[in-house]
This record gives sequence, structure tokens and C-alpha cells, in this order.
Amino acid sequence: MKKQVLAAAFLLSAITTFGAGYQLNLQGIRQLAMGGTGAAWTWDASTIFYNPGGLGRMKNIQVYASGLTISPSTAFGNTIVNSSAVTQRQTFTPFNFYVGGPIQQDSKFALGLGIYTVAGIGLKWDDQWIGRYMVQSINLSAVCFQPTVAYRVNELISVGAGFVYATGSMDIRQALPVHGQNGPGGSADDDGTLHLHGSASGLGFNAGVQLKPSDNLQFGFTYRSQINMGVSNGTATFNVPQSLATSFPNTNFDTQLPLPQVATAGVAYRTLEDRLTLQFDLNYTGWNSYDSLRINFSTHTSSLQDNHAPRHYRNTLTPRAGANYKLGKVVSLMAGAAFEPTPVTNGFVSPDLPDADRVVGSVGVTIKPFPRFTILTACEGITTLTRNASYDFGGFSGTYKTQAITLGLGVYYNF
Amino acid sequence: MKKIFIIGAVAMIFTACRPNIQVNQNPSAGPTADFSNYLAIGNSLTAGYTDGSLTVSGQLHSYPAMLFGQFALIPPPHGAVGPFIQPLLKGDWGYPGPKYILGMTYNPCNPADSSLAPIPNTGASDSVNGDYHFVSGINNNQINNVGVPGIRAVDYKVAGYALYALTSRAPYAARFYNNVYGSPNDELVHVVGNLHPTFFTMWLGANDVLGYALAGGQGDGTGNATPALLPYFYGGSDISPLVAFDSCYDLALNTAISTGASGALINIPDITSIPFFTTVPANGLKLTRQGQADTLTAIYASHGITASFNVGANYFMIQDNAGKTRQAVPGELILLSVPDTSIKCHGWGSVNAAGVPMPIPNNYVLTTDEIQNIRTATTNFNAYIKYEANIHHLAYVDMNSYFTKLASGITYDGIHYSPAFVTGGAFSLDGVHPTQRGYALIANEIIRTINSFYKSNIPSVDINQYKGVTFP
Repeated sequence: MKKQVLAAAFLLSAITTFGAGYQLNLQGIRQLAMGGTGAAWTWDASTIFYNPGGLGRMKNIQVYASGLTISPSTAFGNTIVNSSAVTQRQTFTPFNFYVGGPIQQDSKFALGLGIYTVAGIGLKWDDQWIGRYMVQSINLSAVCFQPTVAYRVNELISVGAGFVYATGSMDIRQALPVHGQNGPGGSADDDGTLHLHGSASGLGFNAGVQLKPSDNLQFGFTYRSQINMGVSNGTATFNVPQSLATSFPNTNFDTQLPLPQVATAGVAYRTLEDRLTLQFDLNYTGWNSYDSLRINFSTHTSSLQDNHAPRHYRNTLTPRAGANYKLGKVVSLMAGAAFEPTPVTNGFVSPDLPDADRVVGSVGVTIKPFPRFTILTACEGITTLTRNASYDFGGFSGTYKTQAITLGLGVYYNF
Repeated sequence: MKKIFIIGAVAMIFTACRPNIQVNQNPSAGPTADFSNYLAIGNSLTAGYTDGSLTVSGQLHSYPAMLFGQFALIPPPHGAVGPFIQPLLKGDWGYPGPKYILGMTYNPCNPADSSLAPIPNTGASDSVNGDYHFVSGINNNQINNVGVPGIRAVDYKVAGYALYALTSRAPYAARFYNNVYGSPNDELVHVVGNLHPTFFTMWLGANDVLGYALAGGQGDGTGNATPALLPYFYGGSDISPLVAFDSCYDLALNTAISTGASGALINIPDITSIPFFTTVPANGLKLTRQGQADTLTAIYASHGITASFNVGANYFMIQDNAGKTRQAVPGELILLSVPDTSIKCHGWGSVNAAGVPMPIPNNYVLTTDEIQNIRTATTNFNAYIKYEANIHHLAYVDMNSYFTKLASGITYDGIHYSPAFVTGGAFSLDGVHPTQRGYALIANEIIRTINSFYKSNIPSVDINQYKGVTFP
């Protein structure tokens, strides 16, 4: 028998980007309740995110804070093997904080700072589910810091821009198809595992212009740049049978997790004696600059090579609509809806990002108990359309459906 | 008040929000097939042989056992009903010899050079004595898996095959044959008579070319092997004569369908693509200095043999079937059975320490013409299997094409499989037989063909629940 230097070589399927499934549109409670619209109208200091140009229209300095809970859950089914799975229930808590307003009373200049969560959720499958060699769990999070300056040119035009520093983390666990005496499955499961963990950061900007042809008709145009979240010196921790320890040494890795660029056009119209405000936004999201993802390990062996997974995303156009109705001086009601087409093309739908077209519905209430103080609440429900798709790189296919419920509570105070 | 209402509504959404994918696909047998009594006919691949031996784990994860599990998902009356009787061994040590396991081995001419490689299982045998005779005790010795390691299609007429196998070959048939003096076809008649199979799979024929290939093409390769020792018993290291293959295959098949069973005939893979023949590269002679190359060229020239050597990878010197020494040419295959120490320490494939030419002996080499003999025979045998499938209206599983696909790599549920030895995941430590996961790939290809031919709806097996190669 030929004696071989043996090591298992196989594909590492850990695939990550901040795909649509990890993008949160939860940066403002009122906007969340209105289907995610908010480019055209300045509701509060969260306009720092939705349209920096709107900051130039703030009358006072405002402090704004909100916290949310989001509970996503994804179900998988494969009728070919009669296998089904559903992710474990997890609750994530994104938050947002804004402060901003005119530098002095009636000034045309405004300054602000936004600290907001753009990604912060994950999926956790059962450790022994059928797709474990691609992903067992994944968590991606990113928080942005955005100092912002705005200038109200005249009553018609207000412009603003902010520099964005994003910081976040990634955490991915997957099984490796090498095992010891016990083999996969059961309580003595000794499949190998890989745990990738790293911090990410990146830079970008957010700019916008708001147009106000009349008191009841406004337009907004914004552009949020792509942010390349670079992960350097992340840790790759392998747990493999002892004889393979030298083939899979614990090491470091580098990768890039891009947040896509988004261009938005919005319109807002107020009617019914100023009680009803209607908003429509269109997001054009530029996904297709990511046609692959690379994970570069700092140590290489015959088994451990840099991972290169193909990704072919398409750009998406997301329509959003929302309404705000003032019941009186104290209470307002909001509702909205959106349809978010998936950027992930068929053949590339992997179980770490089982993305599909999403339908969003939302409602909310704001209460203004005191003149300067407002409480905001919102609830959003998201469901994907049931998607039967494949991930050809991993030879994996199935039907997916994701649902998520988001609850949000916020307050702001005008000085 | 409104707020309370909304909170209540939210709570309701929370409890309702749990997506769910229905996978109840209603397994069905299709309009004509009936899987209630399933019989598997075949050789070591059907028995569940893996890692160079037979073990109870291998048997329990044989592809027929997997198929039975899936057939059992079909509701009555056409789904499989238990039990599925296999002549199970008691242990996992290996039967009759030890299976291979992975262990550290040391290069005898350089003890510092150690590597992980297949070694014989250590410890005491746990199967041979207690399991020598298998009697199922159910339904007049019902057996559903008559996979006999080593058996060829042409063995089906050999009277006393089990006894002969007992003395000179692996004693598998004798363990569970009802009448060891009969032929394998007599046993099949007995099994079919007891079981009245409604569905069968038959994967015979690989050994009709494999014996020749494993012996390095030492038969004459023309398909004219003659009976030796026993009437009808053709030489084991030669390719079975096509006429004998056809008539014996036909005999076994007619026995299998004699009670009206439908079934699937599985053809013979191209065995030259399995790791046993592809692991040791024919151009594995590495030279680092031009001086080495010049010396080798000169030594062989002094023996009247033209060979060219250069710095880098060179084709080994081999002995062809006529005993002539020459350099291997691209496409020729060195067997995994070639002693490692002979190449590493004794200069096989080049010259030894004393400068004497040491061509790799012909029983470790498949030359171009031998490979052609194997491929021609495989093509002929498969043509007959396909012909039989057509005239008897049986499903024809083109495993040959599937293995060709595997040779270029298959990715299935997140695992990449290839025919690479040990690392490829599909083949076990003997380089010939699949791992459990390899058998599961095979089971799914059979299911796919059955579903397509019989318009049945049988779920695939979850390959990821089975084992690949076990690492220490």
C-alpha cells in the first residue's frame, strides 16, 4: 500500500457578505412604521440617516434614541431528501442615537451625529442539520458613526453630507467533513468544525439633498456609498481529529464584507388639512460589485487554502410607501409597506444567506405628551416569499422562507 | 387603549411568526413498481464492503440497506416492509481479515519521514468464529442482500462456488449459502423462491474486469480466459469471456425476474478511474539534479533501453506484460498495491543503489493495451446489461457515467467528492470500495434512475448523516 502524506482537502463554504438578509432598515422608528420611507420629509433627527440634507430643516437641536428587537427565523425544506429545518429563535437588539440641529437659532448651518445599526442579526441552525458543512451559525453586525453637516441654501433646497465610520463583527461556525471514530450525528458527533471570528471596520459617506417646492410637497435624493468592511486578523479556530491538527492549524484570516451603495429618491405629500402625509421612496441598491467573496488565511497547508466563493448579485430596486396620520396634537398613527426584491440570483442562494424577495408591512404610533417630547413605537413584519433555489457551489438546494418581527421604541426631545 | 390593542396584536403576530416548509412529498411507488419485497444481487459493492474488508457497520450502511430504508417510506401496499435481512457479522474488526484504518507509518529508509496512511486494523478479531455460519431464522432463511464479495457474473454457474470460495478465496458465500454445494444461481433460485421479490437491484460484472486489473493485467486480456480448477470457473486474474459473461448474467437475471419482479440493472463503472489505479502517479520519479538524470539515461542506454530523464517529474521505468523494460507513457497506471518501500528504498521505477535497473514489475502496472482491454470489456459487458434492461423493461442505472462525473468532482450538500485517495471522501481506504458516503451517493443515483423509469417518488438519502473516512 502506497504510503501517503494524507490530509483532507475540501471546500470551505463559509460565505459571507452583508447581503440583504443582514441589512437592517431600522434606523428611525417613525420611518420604520412607514415602510422604511423617509428621504423626502424631515420628521426628526433620524434624518441624519434617511437624508442628511433634511438636517438643515431642523428648527431645534434634538436628541433622539431608539431601541428595537428583531426576531428572525428561517425555515428550510428539501423534498428530495424529505428533510426540513428551522433556525433557532434568536432576538437581536439594534439601537440608534442621533443628536443634531441648527448651530444657532435660525441658522442655515446644522450639525449632527448619528450612531445607528445597519446590520445586526444572524441565523443559528441546529448543529447537525443537513447544511452544516456550509453553515451552522452566522452573526454579522455593524454600527455606523456619522458626523454630519447640512446647509439650507434657501427655502427650496437643503443639502447635507456625513462621513461614515462603520464598525462591526462577524462570527461564523460551520462543520467540516472530517470526523473521528464516532462520525457525524448523535450526541457523540465528532465532525470537525471551523469557527471564524473577526472585527470589521470601514469608511464611507452619506449625502443628500432635500427639495421643498411647497409646504405640502417635498422631494429627497440621497446616496449612501458602499462601505467595505475589512476584516483583518480574524481568528480561524479549527476543531478536527488529532491526526489532522497540522493540516488545519488555528490561524488568522482577512476578508472583506461589503455594505452596498444605496441611491434613494423620495417624495412626500401632505394633505387633508395637514393631517395626512404620504411618502414614497425608491431605493436603488448596488449589489453587483460583489461577484465573489474571498477568505484569505495567513497560514496555508495542502488542506487549508484561501477560500473563494462565487457570488453573483444583481442590483435591486425597492419601492416603499408609507403614511402618517395626525389624530390630534398628541397622537399620530403610521402605516407602510415595501417590497424588497432579493439581490441573490438563483444558483447562489446559500443557507448562510437564504435570501428571497421580501414583503414588508409596518404600523406605528407616536405620542407627544409634552410639547418638546415625543415617544415613538413601531412594529414591522417581514416575510419572504417561499423560494425554491439552489446553491450550486455547494451542491445544495431547498426551499426557504424567512420571517421576522421587529418592535421598536424611541424617544426624542427638542431643546 | 389603542396602544394596548396594538401590543396585543403584536403578541399574536409573535406567536404566529414561525416559518415552516412542508416537505411531505408523498413517497409513492409509481404505477407499476412494487417495493414490498426487495432483493439485492451483487458483489462486494452490494455487500457493503469497505476499507478492504467486511464489517457489520459496512453491511448496515450498504447501499441496499439504504435503498430499503427509502423504499420503506412508501406507504403500503407497495412500500418495503421489514425486516431487511443481511448476513450480518458481529463486529467491526473486519472479516475475514482486518479492515484498514488510518495510522502513522514510518519510511523504513528514513524513519524521520512519517505519515498518516492505511494500516491493518489492530486488536483482536471479533467476527470470524462467532459469525461463521449465518442463519437468518426468518421465513425459511430469508436473505434480502445476496451481495457476495469477490463474485463475478461468470461465477453464477459454478457448482460448489461457496466451498471453493471458502478454501481459496474470501469465505463470504459459504457463510450464508443454503446449499454450499450448489452454484450461486442455485442459491438465487432458493432465495427468489422464498422471498418472491417484487423488486430487485442487480449490480454484477465489476469483478469480471477488476480481477484482471488488480493483478496488473496478468491475464491475456483477450477475454479468452479458460476454466481452471472447476468446470466453468474461469481464471480469476483474467477478464471474463464475453460469451460466458452474457450467458451467466442472463441466467442470474432470469432467476431474479422468475417470480415477476421488476427491478434495476446497474452497469459497471470504469474501474481505471478509482483511486487504486490513480493514486500513484506514473510520472512519480522526481529528479532534482541534471546529473541524476544523465546517470539514469546512461545506465539504461548501457542495457540497450532508450529512456529519457530530466530534472523534475519523470515517468517510471516499468516492465510490460511481455517482460520488456521500458519507460511508462502518459495514461499508464501504477497500482496502489505497489510496495511503498520498494519505490522509496529500493529504487523501483529507476535504479537501485548499485545502479541496477529496477523496473516496476508488470503485476503493479496497467499498460496502455491492458487499460484498453479493461475498457473494451467494460463497454461490451455494459452493452449487454443495457440490452437485458431493454428487453426485460427494467431500469438501467448508468453508474459508469456517474463515476465519470465523480472523477471530475461532485459537490453534494456542501461536501466536495472526488476519486482522490482518502481525501476525496467517496472512496475508502482500500482505494476500490466506496465509503459510507460514497455508497450513499450511489444509492441516490439508483433512486434517481428508479424514480425516472418507474415514475415513482422515492426520497433520496441524507448523505451527510453517513461516515466518510475516519481520522484518528
